[in-house]
Amino acid sequence: MSLRELFHNTTLADRILFSLLIVLSLSGIAFIKEILPDNSTLHIYVDGHPAYILPLDKNRVVSVEGPQGKTVVEIKDHQVRIIESPCHNKLCIQTGWVRSGAVVCLPNRVVVTLGDPDKHRKTVDATTG
Amino acid sequence: MQQQDKYRIALLSAFALGLHGFENLLPSPIPWLRLGLANIVTLITLLLYGMRAAVMVTLIRVMLASLIAGSFLGPAFILSLGGGIASTLIMGFVLHIAPRLFSTMGLSIIGALFHNLAQLFLAYFLFIQRIEAILFITPVIILFGTLTGTVNGAVSALLMKNLIKYDQKVQNVNEIK
Amino acid sequence: MKSRQHVVDSKQVNTKRAVPASYLQSTVYCLLLLLSTVYCLLYACSCSPNKERIFKKDRILMDTLVAITVVSDSKDNAEKAIDAAFSEIEYLEKLSNHYSPDSEITRINRNAGISEVKVSHDILKLLEKALYVSENTEGAFDVTIGPVIALYDFHKKIIPDNGMIKKNLLLVNYRDIIINRDRSTVLLKRKGMLIDLGGIAKGYAADKAAETLKKQGVRSGLVAVAGDIKAFGLKPDGKPWKIGIRNPESGDKEDDIMATVELEDMAISTSGDYERFFLSGGKRYHHLLNPKTGLSSQECRSVSIITKEGAYTDAFATGIFILGPGQGVKVLDKLGFEGMIIDSQGKSHLTQGLRKKIEFKRTVS
Repeated sequence: MSLRELFHNTTLADRILFSLLIVLSLSGIAFIKEILPDNSTLHIYVDGHPAYILPLDKNRVVSVEGPQGKTVVEIKDHQVRIIESPCHNKLCIQTGWVRSGAVVCLPNRVVVTLGDPDKHRKTVDATTG
Repeated sequence: MQQQDKYRIALLSAFALGLHGFENLLPSPIPWLRLGLANIVTLITLLLYGMRAAVMVTLIRVMLASLIAGSFLGPAFILSLGGGIASTLIMGFVLHIAPRLFSTMGLSIIGALFHNLAQLFLAYFLFIQRIEAILFITPVIILFGTLTGTVNGAVSALLMKNLIKYDQKVQNVNEIK
Repeated sequence: MKSRQHVVDSKQVNTKRAVPASYLQSTVYCLLLLLSTVYCLLYACSCSPNKERIFKKDRILMDTLVAITVVSDSKDNAEKAIDAAFSEIEYLEKLSNHYSPDSEITRINRNAGISEVKVSHDILKLLEKALYVSENTEGAFDVTIGPVIALYDFHKKIIPDNGMIKKNLLLVNYRDIIINRDRSTVLLKRKGMLIDLGGIAKGYAADKAAETLKKQGVRSGLVAVAGDIKAFGLKPDGKPWKIGIRNPESGDKEDDIMATVELEDMAISTSGDYERFFLSGGKRYHHLLNPKTGLSSQECRSVSIITKEGAYTDAFATGIFILGPGQGVKVLDKLGFEGMIIDSQGKSHLTQGLRKKIEFKRTVS
């Protein structure tokens, strides 16, 4: 009836199996936590081809080469902006900080897209306006 | 004998169904993580009356449960059926080839493990084609499966002990007669 | 020791109490079991609902970001369809881009006041639709506004001289576009006239891209040429495509959405005073010019139109923006379109039908 009795009723194979499964599943969970699929990643495309795929959690500055020259992208506090670009109108720089969606430099053919935070993906499939 | 066994199977199926229904009443934050109380009946049936009986009890329980719930032939039914059959067959197989290797508890854990594995397998092939999602939840499911398997195994072992005692009593009575 | 005994005991019990059966019976049971399992599996396979997934690709075309989303059960099919749609948009861009030296529109412009130009079916259709919109907006939408727009420079923030505006306004008149269907030609009556399809080409491209997707076998998709969007079919979860309408007051934040609407086989476009503009001397100069005055129309902040064709949503959004809320709503009702007009005070005017379908995220004053 007691737990001790129950334990004595188990065979060696039982205990090995139990321990093995517990260990495997716990390590599996730990492993999963490590490589959690990023909620927000940054994609930088130049001329339609992916140039960079970066996580948003580390502050950094990257530059990409487009047909017109160098476009410099900054990541800070889970936000993105274009700091420098060889384009004529600098609209991309004027856009400023962006937390979701995209910021593009059309003349230099650079597209910076952010993996939408779950909230946005769940609400809209496209934006007009 | 056959008649008696048919009655037994029906009764056991009823127990399994009842436990299943009871279990469904218990609230749980995670819809998939169930205690699998009905498996206790399956295991005991297997130990007392053999593979065929256990399989029938499982089948009857799964069918009736899904018919009552209205999800017959639906995804829940497929998963239940797959998991139940797989676990019963594997437990019976292990019992057949190595009857003394595992105790009741061990068998229950094995049953729970293969029940979950079969369900994950079926879920992947039939419903969610995204292997990342499946692999993502597998460790958690195996962990909970092992724990519930252990608990169910303990209950089964206790039941078996008492049932054997009762059975021996009856046999003694018969012999005396 | 005890546990083993238990197991052994039960095994003994097992052999005594097992359901006795002839081989025939057990074979029959097994077959039944097998058959029912197979049947259930087959049934489940045939009705498994989630094999379709959403695929999305974007590319820079027509001087903007074009994003195409499709529902498909195979990545290859999805890519093939999306690439075909992009090609269609590229083809239209070549025809309609008036900045490009060898587009059909440029040829028409160069031959203004000189001769008619033979054009492709698409350009003919585009211009016909443009004229239809012009007629229904009392000329508020006018593709011949080219010469006046050319005076503004939104990058260098140059405000054109009033005299120049007045002079170029004389060249603006959609009625001077002569289309000959039989010969497939277009003629601009007076020298110096310029056609600018910027207010309708994107919507038309969205329509054609969606058609291409359908021809490729796609049953549900979303084409977004910047803010001109065409949606058809339903998503895998059975719901229609959900479109967000940007808040004209959002300023810096690109992702500020004020309302969402579900589109079922419809197109939507929005014209706003925040798309191409510059501020100077406290006034906002934007690209939606009134063809009668040559100045940025100040009546509205944004206009969103929903109807079946993207070409119309694009062009009417521009036209109604210039017409203003009062007349704009009348036009929408007359044509049976749904739409929302946010006037210069920030007040929103909606068509009856849209009131039921739109969901506001915050209250717009």
